Amino acid sequence: MPSLLKALSSQVGRKLLTGLTGVALIVFIVVHLVGNLTLFGPPDAFNTYAYKLHSLGPLLWIAEIGLVAVFAIHSYIGLSIWWNRRRARPQKYHVYSSKGAPSRQSLSSKTMAFTGVVMLIFIVFHVRAFKYGETTMTSIPGVDYPVKDLKALVITSFLDPVMAFAYTFVMMLLGAHLGHGIWSAMISLTLSNPQRSAAVYTAGTIIAVLLSVGFLFIPLYIYFTGGQGALIQY
Amino acid sequence: MKLDAKIPSGPLEEKWSKHLNDVKLVSPNNKRKMHVIVVGTGLAGASASASLAELGYKVSTFCIQDSGRRAHSIAAQGGINAAKNYQNDGDSVYRLFYDTIKGGDYRSREANVYRLAHLSNNIIDQAVSQGVPFAREYGGYLANRSFGGAQVSRTFYARGQTGQQLLMGAYQSMMKMVNEGKINYYTRHEMMDVVVIDGVARGIITRDLVTGELTRHSADAVILATGGYGNVFYLSTNAKNSNVTATWRAHKRGAAFANPSFVQVHPTCIPVSGDYQSKLTLMSESLRNDGRVWVPRKAGDDRPPNQIPEEERYYYLEERYPSFGNLVPRDVASRNAKQVTDEGLGVGETGLAVYLDFRDAIARDGKDVISAKYGNLFDMYENISGENPYEVPMRIYPAVHYTMGGLWVDYNLMTTVPGLFALGEANFSDHGANRLGASALMQGLADGYFVIPFTIGDYLADAGVSTIDTSHEAFASVEKEVQERIDKILNVKGDRTVIDFHRTLGRIVWDNIGITRNEKDLKKAITEIQALREEFWQNVKVPGKATNYNKYLEFAHRVADFFELAELMAYDALDRGESCGCHLREEFQTPEGEAIRNDKDYAYVSAWEFKDLNGKLETELHKETLEFEFVEMKQRSYK
Amino acid sequence: MSQMTIHLKIWRQAGPDVKGAFENHTLDTVNEHMSFLEMLDVLNEELVVAGKEPFEFDYDCREGICGSCNLVINGRAHGPKRLTAACQLHMRNFKDGDSIVIEPARAAAFPVIKDLVVDRSAFDRIIAAGGYITVRTGSAPEANSIPVELEDSTFSFDYAACIGCGACVAACPNSSASLFTAAKLSHLNRLPQGEPEREKRVIAMVEQMEKEGFGDCSNFGECEAVCPKGISIASIAEMRRNYVKATIAG
Repeated sequence: MPSLLKALSSQVGRKLLTGLTGVALIVFIVVHLVGNLTLFGPPDAFNTYAYKLHSLGPLLWIAEIGLVAVFAIHSYIGLSIWWNRRRARPQKYHVYSSKGAPSRQSLSSKTMAFTGVVMLIFIVFHVRAFKYGETTMTSIPGVDYPVKDLKALVITSFLDPVMAFAYTFVMMLLGAHLGHGIWSAMISLTLSNPQRSAAVYTAGTIIAVLLSVGFLFIPLYIYFTGGQGALIQY
Repeated sequence: MKLDAKIPSGPLEEKWSKHLNDVKLVSPNNKRKMHVIVVGTGLAGASASASLAELGYKVSTFCIQDSGRRAHSIAAQGGINAAKNYQNDGDSVYRLFYDTIKGGDYRSREANVYRLAHLSNNIIDQAVSQGVPFAREYGGYLANRSFGGAQVSRTFYARGQTGQQLLMGAYQSMMKMVNEGKINYYTRHEMMDVVVIDGVARGIITRDLVTGELTRHSADAVILATGGYGNVFYLSTNAKNSNVTATWRAHKRGAAFANPSFVQVHPTCIPVSGDYQSKLTLMSESLRNDGRVWVPRKAGDDRPPNQIPEEERYYYLEERYPSFGNLVPRDVASRNAKQVTDEGLGVGETGLAVYLDFRDAIARDGKDVISAKYGNLFDMYENISGENPYEVPMRIYPAVHYTMGGLWVDYNLMTTVPGLFALGEANFSDHGANRLGASALMQGLADGYFVIPFTIGDYLADAGVSTIDTSHEAFASVEKEVQERIDKILNVKGDRTVIDFHRTLGRIVWDNIGITRNEKDLKKAITEIQALREEFWQNVKVPGKATNYNKYLEFAHRVADFFELAELMAYDALDRGESCGCHLREEFQTPEGEAIRNDKDYAYVSAWEFKDLNGKLETELHKETLEFEFVEMKQRSYK
Repeated sequence: MSQMTIHLKIWRQAGPDVKGAFENHTLDTVNEHMSFLEMLDVLNEELVVAGKEPFEFDYDCREGICGSCNLVINGRAHGPKRLTAACQLHMRNFKDGDSIVIEPARAAAFPVIKDLVVDRSAFDRIIAAGGYITVRTGSAPEANSIPVELEDSTFSFDYAACIGCGACVAACPNSSASLFTAAKLSHLNRLPQGEPEREKRVIAMVEQMEKEGFGDCSNFGECEAVCPKGISIASIAEMRRNYVKATIAG
């Protein structure tokens, strides 16, 4: 029997890790989205949420380190699959086309490496802009000292058309990545069978669309309403 | 040449077990030193390779395809017989034996056929243990069906892919031994000749089909499991690479060739559509259970079939054979199809087809019932012909399917060359003048799994470990002959392609040594074959070179061998002045067209010894008289 | 009977280490009843008569069961028709005047031998590594002493139907051999006979598959779409389940 490390680094093990880390990232994304949507809650909801998250202290660091590790594994394996694929077919086809259903080849599945790499670059900018970005201070109920006004930062950022549309574009790519990714993770984690396959694929697509729309709604809404829309309470 | 079948004495049921007690054994220590060559990886070759390697022999296995799994055993659809009597319908080893020997029209050996029936049960056990997914009943036990007109259900099957599944079982067992280093496995290698030294087989010369390199291989024994020679007809249901070369080379080195004219023709194949046709596709005989065979009564009636009224249709099988009708045996159905097309009543663009009509069955049972029974066959037919058989009658025509003839072997499966064995379709042993459905797979596996492992030991124990290796001058001289032949073929540089020659040869063989034969046509065929062979060596055009992958060069030397074989088939058919099994001589039939068998003069196996080839094939007939101690020879009738 | 004109663009490569290129040919005697391979036969006959070298391609049974043929036709393994091997593809699936590009299966693990012929011996080695049930000839118990649930037997058969043509590898964007490997595992692992070697088998076959240089599986499912026998990628999920059980979770 191979060692655990060897088993995990086999094609099957790597796929399993991709699936597991993928699922972890989806969970993170869902939590992230729920947090983001507090923008549309009571006036202080978003900043309170951010404050509480930060006040977790060491727990947050652990979570963040874990997240970075998951992300790193997911990206590393993803890139190595892309690399392997070039090695496994040094001479490309002159003409290549999919034979259609039941093939799951789609724009989504064919661009996994590309959308993944865009996401990787995006995250660097995203973290710099919102985690380490300069903010004004504000106060929230129950806290007797000033806290970062992240809500203002988000709204000001997305009033800039470049930011708003770049984010929207990236969130569409996220949707594309998840469109194949959710279904693929289910297969990699061996949770699908042929009878359920079509249903899992459809469910995966719907979840991907919902997540993508959920994220891109925020910049678009802010930009088109000038931050003054009825959904955002001050 | 002396033919000694070495049939053990004693009662029929005890011959094999007695023989097992009598055969000599090889010590494990000596087995390790003994090298056995197996040529071919079909059911017989793969099962023999695996079994001999398990016993401890050093085995080298060769196949011409890119993998052992491609051998043509894979295409067998129907099933495999075994006398398990799981259906409790009264089957027994004796009945399977009796049906097989009767089906072979009393032209096979009682002892061999009995052993085959006896071993049939072990084959099923072995295959099931290997994971062959035979059809099962709801309870999880094995299912059976009745096949080829048998009165009991003894056929085991795996959908329509029984051959494929059995072959995978044997191939996988073989690959396991390859992995363990017990078998040297050579793919894309063709046996070009056998090396016989002082009358004993000592090895082979092979050609690497990728590099063209010739290699010598010495061995303690050589096993040929290289299949049948149906491709002498050019069009047959055989795979394109199936050929006679290995057995023919062995024949020219001293192995007698038995019953070469015994060729089975299958009545329900998809007909030829044009000159470009490269092979024929078989459809299950079960179609005749519901389809009605007919042709227009009037020659040249080219109306679409649905517009031909009932009274102008000639249901010739139903009219000629009122009790069996469309279900007459394969040979009778084939023969009649040829007769009506010879009379100009054939249908389709080529006139070489008859209708198989499901109109009445669909009207009677409904489309759904017919579709449930034959849906996959109808789809296959539509894919190939472009016609919908639910609406238009199928067009069918007979095609060459299996060759009962092959290298003569004794009870131990050894040819007339000591140390040279032949297994499966490559030998002549068990099917007489006609093979029963679902028994080809049975024979291939019986030979490979359960006969050769014991009988080869008997030979090797006596022969001792061979001290001859490839440095022996005989290897060099055979290799040189092989090289010269290749060079000769390539250097003709004539005008006609190999395929063209093969097609022409096939036409001669089909027209004259096919479904029916007569003296005049056979003699004419001999002259034509000789002339065409002469032309081949003067005028064949083979492209490319001998030092790389060159399919047309492979075909060229196989076709050259088919020419020689074809001539021998004609001599064999000419010699046999009777009609038996698949062999119908027009001079020997009743006025109603029933075969007349002549047991007094022809109850023998024809074993031909190669003498020379000088413009004509010189050959000598040896007869192995068939003794029937346990069954009585009866005449068939299907009226 | 309609004659068609077909424009062909076919890969020509003299050997494994030689650079290949496309060659154009036009055939104006194509008949709708011809199989795709018969169409190539006709072209080859013309080439031979003209003193040129024919194209080499693999074939044997020509009835869709031996798995020898493996052409990539207009970018699709075995051509446009589903559940059909190239040898069973008839020219009526094309139109008069069509252009057809024919390439060999392209994968590092399937090196080109000549023209359209590739070396698929990697598949043999995957089977040799573990694609069998160990049972010495003669040691098998009575067949009906091993009942197999009909469901398992049917499942097993669905995967045993694989013909080893390699279309799955040819069509996979990653050149993965997962479907081939998984099909054999699903055939053998579900049967009670295959149970004792289940773990050893999956580990050995997965290792061999990687060693041969096939790419990873990204669950594209293209393999299932081109498979002439319609083998489902559910077997790949099953292979992973078995592998995890045999290694990580075992």
